[in-house]
Amino acid sequence: MTKSKKVEGKKESVSRRDFLKTGSTVIAAGALGVYASGSTSTALANPDPVEAPSYAPSTGYIVWDSRLCLGCQSCMYACSLTHEGVANPSLSRIQIIRDAPSFTKYPYDITMSVCRQCVTPICVQNCPTGACYVDTENGNVRRIDPNECIGCGTCIESCPQRPHRTVWNPEKDISMKCDLCVDAPYWGREGGPNGYQACVEICPAKALKLVHEPPLQTDVTGYDVDLAPPPPPPRNFMNFFQQNSDDSKKKGE
Amino acid sequence: MTGGYTGKIIRVNLTTKEVGTIDTAKYEEFGGGYGMGTAIFWDLAVSPGEWDMKDAYDPRNVLPIMVGPLAATGVPGAGRTSVCSLSPETFPTCEFWRGNLGGRFGTMMKLAGWDGVVVEGKADKPVWINIINDQVKIEDAKELWGLDTWETQNRITSMVGGKTRYGEEWYEIGSGSTTARPEILLIGPIGETKSRLAALITGSGVSARIGGHAAVFGSKNLKAISVIGTNSIQVSDPKGILEARLHQMQSPGSFPTQPGAASCMPCLKGDRRRSNYYGGETMCACQGWLSSHKMSDSDRAAEALIKYGLSSWSAHFHVDMFSQNIPGAPALFRGKVPTDSGLGWYLQYLKQEGLLGPGKEIDSDPLPMDQWGELSFRQALLDAVANRTGIGDALAEGCCRAAEKWGRLEKDRDSGALRLTAWGATAHWTMPWVEWAYAYILGAGDPAWHGFMAPVGKPSEGTLEQSLEKLSKRTIPYTDDIFMFNYAWKGEEAWKTGIYSPHKAKQVAWSRHYSSFWNESMAFCEMFLPELGSHSPEMETMYYKAVTGKDDSFAGTMRIGQKIWTLERAIRVMHGRSRQTEDFFPYMYMPGASGFAIYGGVPVYEKGKWRSDLAPDMYLDRKGVDDFKTHFYALEGWDKEHGWPTRKTLEDLGLGRMVKTLRDSGKLGAA
Repeated sequence: MTKSKKVEGKKESVSRRDFLKTGSTVIAAGALGVYASGSTSTALANPDPVEAPSYAPSTGYIVWDSRLCLGCQSCMYACSLTHEGVANPSLSRIQIIRDAPSFTKYPYDITMSVCRQCVTPICVQNCPTGACYVDTENGNVRRIDPNECIGCGTCIESCPQRPHRTVWNPEKDISMKCDLCVDAPYWGREGGPNGYQACVEICPAKALKLVHEPPLQTDVTGYDVDLAPPPPPPRNFMNFFQQNSDDSKKKGE
Repeated sequence: MTGGYTGKIIRVNLTTKEVGTIDTAKYEEFGGGYGMGTAIFWDLAVSPGEWDMKDAYDPRNVLPIMVGPLAATGVPGAGRTSVCSLSPETFPTCEFWRGNLGGRFGTMMKLAGWDGVVVEGKADKPVWINIINDQVKIEDAKELWGLDTWETQNRITSMVGGKTRYGEEWYEIGSGSTTARPEILLIGPIGETKSRLAALITGSGVSARIGGHAAVFGSKNLKAISVIGTNSIQVSDPKGILEARLHQMQSPGSFPTQPGAASCMPCLKGDRRRSNYYGGETMCACQGWLSSHKMSDSDRAAEALIKYGLSSWSAHFHVDMFSQNIPGAPALFRGKVPTDSGLGWYLQYLKQEGLLGPGKEIDSDPLPMDQWGELSFRQALLDAVANRTGIGDALAEGCCRAAEKWGRLEKDRDSGALRLTAWGATAHWTMPWVEWAYAYILGAGDPAWHGFMAPVGKPSEGTLEQSLEKLSKRTIPYTDDIFMFNYAWKGEEAWKTGIYSPHKAKQVAWSRHYSSFWNESMAFCEMFLPELGSHSPEMETMYYKAVTGKDDSFAGTMRIGQKIWTLERAIRVMHGRSRQTEDFFPYMYMPGASGFAIYGGVPVYEKGKWRSDLAPDMYLDRKGVDDFKTHFYALEGWDKEHGWPTRKTLEDLGLGRMVKTLRDSGKLGAA
């Protein structure tokens, strides 16, 4: 694995044992439900009334179009294959959740759960060891260093999104998060904000896209955007056969 | 084992309540999915010799529900679940047959750590099987019996662990965690009452209708199998899987990107719909056509079908859409020939002939005949079949058995009114693609395999002959014989190079061997692969090698396909299959047998020239079909008199252990 120099978010080394012994001083921001950037959530996440640290924004963000998503979960397989070398949706840093068999109506039948590379990354802010950090050598992507993660789960508890975008890896006892494929050893392409992301490239519906400007942070609308291509001529599977039927009849006569 | 396999299969005996495992490695030579399921059926149901294999509802019927090694690996289109058993649907005898379905059940089975589940015996009361990673429990289904397929899935989801609202949180399963719901394979009320048309359902709109295996669930008092898992699948070359996908995605315009499309896990094609009916997903894009003349009613009727546990292909009412005027067709067709004709077509025929109605020869009670064509009629029909009330009791047995009960079997079969290609199975395309038709009789009904339809169609560029020459390079191991694709059906050419010739036998064999390995055992959706006009056969082996690490050539995999196909044959031979029993229904020998053709029709070689022909007047010749069987049996290494595999064929294919069983039963083909 390529280890990048970390500038922001670096803290003194703390072991999982030390962390558990002293207890967490972090309040889970998860109770917020919907993430609201800025001082409110930051203040809740930090019990001491100090000014929230600011972080250089990521130069890459994955946005999506939940209407376009096929629900095929190809991106989840791509993520676990490229990062972990195995196929396992539970180890994917992107989660596509289909509501069958609970039968919610379109377009609310699919939830696309993608790391937002938050402008104010609470996971970075609250990590007790600095394992979760802003990678200034790779476009300020918010990453977790697997070698320094002590598996305390603070980043998971802290993530204000539901479901949380930081992902627990039970096979390694560490947390993981989307790194825009900066460190994807089984991905045959250059990753990162200036490269290619496996989920984006693999998506057959083009429902994921990398952008470089921070999306609106206050709600989901900044990320769940219109990526649909122009509509095709009015020709679907059904009238395709009907057309053929009509042609056949003409030719058969 | 190599990549892709989990290494173990669940074995559940519902009579004794025992849960054990089968080592997958024992069956690896059969690839996976249906291949393994067929071999397991042989070992557990046939080889012991304790069962005559006459009654599909006998507790000794064995039901392997299997997944392939490519499932849940990121390979697209390969997550289908195969089901096989002695089929209650086929007529006049219960034949060994298979069906399969997409969705996410198969992939979840793999993620739970299993290559399949084999169900034996019969529970003394309704049960469901609860699989959570390596934990397998037989649960009481008293509260679920009688519920529709959606409500049942919701109840099971709540019981298994959906403690948080959908989409809001991860939940823990053992040491792992997931955002997924359990995936559930189940039957509706129609399966509970053992309708021979019943379909297995998963999710909100995915079904396996071929074979009526849902009725086997019902006969075993098995309502559902639920599975959820969080394990990793080891693959040989993770980078190779993604490279193969990206390679396939380079085809311009191959894949739809319009809002509202949907796919199985993790497919590329997007040929489902995220409809507001069917609870957000359709079986496939076709299903919306099938139940009523009003689209809104059609969607709602299809939703009702899924909830009751019936596939709409079995109850096809859309006579007008898929019909064509056929010169010379029998008067009973009223100038129209439907392409897909099952229960709906037969009921329509009986109605228009004045045979079906209140107080008529066939009493329609409790169907509201004055609401024919309306959604309310469809719902009443489903309810009658599910509860076996009135006419529903006969219809639940399928068209042929219903006709038999009404004393109309011979008459309606011989006239062509029972338009069921073979084995009483719902007609689906068949002619003019005769390889599809032949697969009906050689198997046990609808092969549901479209592989040659587009490739033999009228080419968009170049000559037809050039197009067929290219195609003939891809059909390994039967290459460089373009007469395989000759659909001449009349005169001397039909016997010399056309549909009754040894050339056609090669095309049929290729389709059966390919299907047996790649579609049924590697579980590639047949709407996904083969793509004989572009990616096949390179794409198949790219995916296969990336997952398993195996270096099998495409010809080698086709040989495994032939092995599976021959084992399937051996099972059928053991329960009575022979040359004499495999035949078409009479309408196939009458004008009107063919429906309309798409893709510009089929290639015909006559008088030294090739042409594309829509072939609306194609029908079969009895002697020609008999001659075709002779050629086909010879190609497969089955004896000419009975169509039974010979010792040499079995041994050459590595099926030597089946020789003794066949010989002891007097059913080993003569050399």
